[in-house]
This record gives sequence, C-alpha cells and structure tokens, in this order.
Amino acid sequence: MSATTLAPGATSPTASRTSPYRLSFAHVLRSEWIKFRSLRSTWWTLGITVVVMVGFSLMFAAVVTSVSGQGGSPEDMGMGSTDGIGVMVITVGYSFAQLAVAVLGALTVTGEYSTGMIRSTLSAVPRRLPALAAKMIVVGAVTAVTTAVAVGLSYLVTYPILSGDGLTADFSSAEDQRALVGAVLYLTAVALFSVAVGVLLRSSAGAIFTLVAVFFVLSMVLGIVQGVTGADWVQTLMNSLPASAGEQVVLGGGMSSPDAIGPWQGFAVLVGWTAALTAAAAVVLKRRDA
Amino acid sequence: MIEARGLTKRYGPKTAVDGVSFTVRPGTVTGFLGPNGAGKSTTMRMIMGLDRPTAGTVTVNGRPYAEHRSPLTEVGALLDAKAVHTGRSAYNHLLAMAATHGIPTKRVDEVIEMTGLQSVAKKRVGGFSLGMGQRLGIASALLGDPKTLILDEPVNGLDPEGVLWVRNLARYLASEGRTVFLSSHLMSEVALTADHIVVIGKGRIIADAPVGDIVDGAQQRTVRVRTPHATQLAELLTSDGATVTSDEPSLLVVTGRDAAGIGELAAAQGFVLHELTPVTSTLEDAYMALTADSVEYQTESAQQHVGHGAAGATAAPAPTDSLEGAQR
Repeated sequence: MSATTLAPGATSPTASRTSPYRLSFAHVLRSEWIKFRSLRSTWWTLGITVVVMVGFSLMFAAVVTSVSGQGGSPEDMGMGSTDGIGVMVITVGYSFAQLAVAVLGALTVTGEYSTGMIRSTLSAVPRRLPALAAKMIVVGAVTAVTTAVAVGLSYLVTYPILSGDGLTADFSSAEDQRALVGAVLYLTAVALFSVAVGVLLRSSAGAIFTLVAVFFVLSMVLGIVQGVTGADWVQTLMNSLPASAGEQVVLGGGMSSPDAIGPWQGFAVLVGWTAALTAAAAVVLKRRDA
Repeated sequence: MIEARGLTKRYGPKTAVDGVSFTVRPGTVTGFLGPNGAGKSTTMRMIMGLDRPTAGTVTVNGRPYAEHRSPLTEVGALLDAKAVHTGRSAYNHLLAMAATHGIPTKRVDEVIEMTGLQSVAKKRVGGFSLGMGQRLGIASALLGDPKTLILDEPVNGLDPEGVLWVRNLARYLASEGRTVFLSSHLMSEVALTADHIVVIGKGRIIADAPVGDIVDGAQQRTVRVRTPHATQLAELLTSDGATVTSDEPSLLVVTGRDAAGIGELAAAQGFVLHELTPVTSTLEDAYMALTADSVEYQTESAQQHVGHGAAGATAAPAPTDSLEGAQR
C-alpha cells in the first residue's frame, strides 16, 4: 500500500469556502438504501422470505388437492367451506416468512451496533431521527414489495395445481382481497416492529430471540393453551398481542376462533404496538450515547 | 475551531471527563495526549455529539456539532477504526456516508486514492487489517472536505510508512488552514506532529501549551556517576544544592549539576570516578512524569518507574533525538 499520496486531491478547496454538500432527508434515505443493498444478509433474508412463502404455498396446494382428490371435504381440513382455500394456499407461508422479515428488520439496526457502524451513521446524521425514519422507510418499502412479489409467485406456481379442483383464489370476494393485502401489510408491519426492537435492544441475538418469542413461540403456545382450555382470558390476551391479533388480517373468518378479534381491528393492534415501540425507539435513540 | 467549556462526562459514579476546557485553533495541529482511560475518546465523542455531556458545552466552528446544516463538511472524524460494518465493502461504506450529504461518487474515488485503498476498496471491511481500517477511517473523515478534523489515535496499527503518511497529512491539512485535533498516548508521536499539546489525565487537563514548552518544561537532565566514594560524593553534592538518588551502591543519579561541575568537585576532593554520563530523559519519561499521578491503569513496575522519576531512564542513556524509538 502506497503512502506517497499526500494531497487531499487537486479539487480540494481551501477550508474557508462554503461547501456545496448538504445533509437532507432525501440524501439520508439514499444513504440508507445504499447501506441496505450493500449487505449480503439483506439478500439472504429477502431470498428466504420468497422461498419460504412460495414453498409453503406449493406444499399446502399439494395437500389440498390430495385431500380433495380422495373425495375429502373442506371439513377434513378443518375448514368450514372451500371458500378462501385458494387465498389461504397463497398466504400460508406468512407465519414462517415473518421470521425472515423480522431478522431483516432487526439486523438493519443491530448490525450497526455490533460492528460500530452506528457511530459513523450518527456522526453523519447527528440529529439521529432522520436516520431511523429512513431505515424504516427502506425496510418497509422493500418488505412490502418483496412479500407482494412472493404472494404473486405463490399464486402463479400453485394455479396449475389447484385449477383442476376449482380451488384457485377468487379475488372478487372482499375476504380474499383482504387476506391477500393483509399478508403484505402484516409482514411489513412485522419488519417495522423489528426495526424498533432492534433500536431498543441493540444486540442481534437479543432482538432476534425476542422477535421469535413474540411472533412465533408466544402465539403458538397461546394458541395451544386456548385450544385446550378454551379460557376467555387467553383469548383476551391473544386479542391484544401483536402477532396473534395482527395475523387475523391474513387469517380472518375461516381459521380463526369465533372470539378472535376482527381482521382489521387485529391489524390495528399490531400497528399500535409498532407505533408505540417506534416512539420508544426514537426517544431512546435520541437520548442514548452511541 | 473547537471550543470546550467545562465539559464533563460521568458514567454512574465514575467521572470520565471532569470539567475540561480547551480551545483547538485552525491552522495548527493540536495533539491530545493522555494515557489510556484518561478521557480522550470520551471527549472526542462528546465533540461529535455521540455522547451527551453531563455538564458543560463544546462547539465546533461556533456551533454544537449536531446543529450544523452539513456536519460532514464541518468536521471529519476518525473516532474508531472499527466504526464500519464488517459485511460491507470499503467502497460501499464510503458511498453510503457520502450519500448523506449528496457528496458525489467522484469524491469517494478521490479519498480512496488519497488513502491508498484502491486495491482493497471493493473488498469487505471484515477482512481488513488494523492499518487498512485506519486508512478507511481517515478516508471517511476526509469525504466532506471538512474544515476541522478529529483523529482519535490515527497511527494505531499503521506501519512506519503509514505513520509518516498520517503525520504529513495532518501537517498538510493544518497548513491549508484547517483545524486538526489528533489524539495519541505516545508523547513522541504528538511531539513530532503537533504544534500545540493538550495533555489530559484522569479526565482533567494537566497541560495546554505549545509543543516546545511542554517538551522543555517536562524534560529532566541528569548525570550518572559511578564512583567508589559514592556516599561522600553524594553528601557533598547534596550540600551543594544538587538532588541525588541512588539505585545501587556506587551509582549516583544527580540532578541540578552538569557533568563538568560534578567532575571538578570530585577532582578537588581526589575522588575516583568510574563513570560520568550526562543523561537526557526521553520524551516518554517526561510524559510519564507529567501524568504520573493520573494514570488510570497503573502496573507495579510502572509505579516503581515513576517513583524513581527520570532516574528510570538511566538504564540506557537516551538522547532526545532518538524519538523514533517510540514507534517500535
């Protein structure tokens, strides 16, 4: 490595001039996009999201047609009717894809804390909150696009399997439309929730552990407890937690217990949690030493 | 221009920086010298708005850092060579940093060339050596062509060529009228690079003066005398106003008399001298003496060394011009 280059460039003006460079939100947004796209972990988690969503759709489609082909009824699959099976097939992967999306959201922040990058970020954007806002916009937008693409791919790859039994999604029903949009909205909210958790906890391991507990273990355990005991308080609890309330926007009617919170009310609960954690993250980020 | 007034940082019961006030002027290289744990990095982080002061204020070019409209063009900082995501390439790191201020890609290429990182720019930072990490940090600091540069331990991990490069770069940037504030725990390094030195120990400013004053003021000249008549000669010298210490029988370390004076005195009494060596303490010794009471993590041997003051240097006579020795 040569140490002979000394001058900071021929174009370097003297120290007394005013610089043409300006810090602006649009610039910070661009910076966060560059940071986001220049990490391998981003492409890994996005790839896994798509693979998981499409893969589970294919698996579920195969199961559905197999049951249907053996003369089974919707009841055999624990469902009231064949309405909505098509959409369920397309969106079924969400509960696994949410883990990939959660890791993506958390790593966007915790990756900076674990490597020390956060000090570079906050030196460049000393007011700090624009950096957080830009991160959330980038993570939210990319998650929304990626999950929408995954849902579209799921529809395309399962169409030939389901069309023989007339089980393909029927986008004319309001329920189907809601579930479809809901899957994208739910996963986007999970990603933003995870960014906020990342800011609050700063550690990758801590954040991912927490997110897996909140979005996977907790709702699964409560679902089982509720199924076994049927206790009202368990349902009340589930109706107020981010995962089990939020996922109603995907599940809605068919798979849900009759006492479950409504789809949009449930999504509002998740949005409420996300907003509250984001506010807490903003306060903490602004106050804490980097 | 950096102005700190009563800057204080406490972490729980521990005070890392204790009411520090100093001014760093443009057009000069100001060295920030202190042992590990003295509060250098904490002070620099407070200047950059990364740590919130418990009390006091610090401004850069007239304003708190965070209030500048384009902070990277005001201040470029190397606070920590590891303040980079290890999974990203050096080029993409600089590109992202530049993007926050709308700094063009051309400038990114410029700083890469300036710091000699061309061959590794597209490689991921995780595989960088400490020296390459330092160069990337310096590249990052130069991105905005800033009026003020803050460099925390910039020569850490650099090879001799790199050390020389940083030294010349700092001097060049100051000659352009920029403010350069550079920390080190090596007195010799700072003495070679800086025009002005601020010495910090245990969170307090110990000295704040031009480099020449600090070096002269802190340096002690002693004479090593070996003689079979040690006891008598010591008494004679002491009664004459000199200070005498002794590490072993027949060896005296004399302060306050030059070699000629001691030789004449001994000759007048008929004392045999086996050795008469003038010793100038090294800069490191001067610095040790300066910060003796404010070293955070003191070892047993360091305490003994400090206890004997400059006499510790007598093991090997070390003239002042052997500064390079400290870059080992």
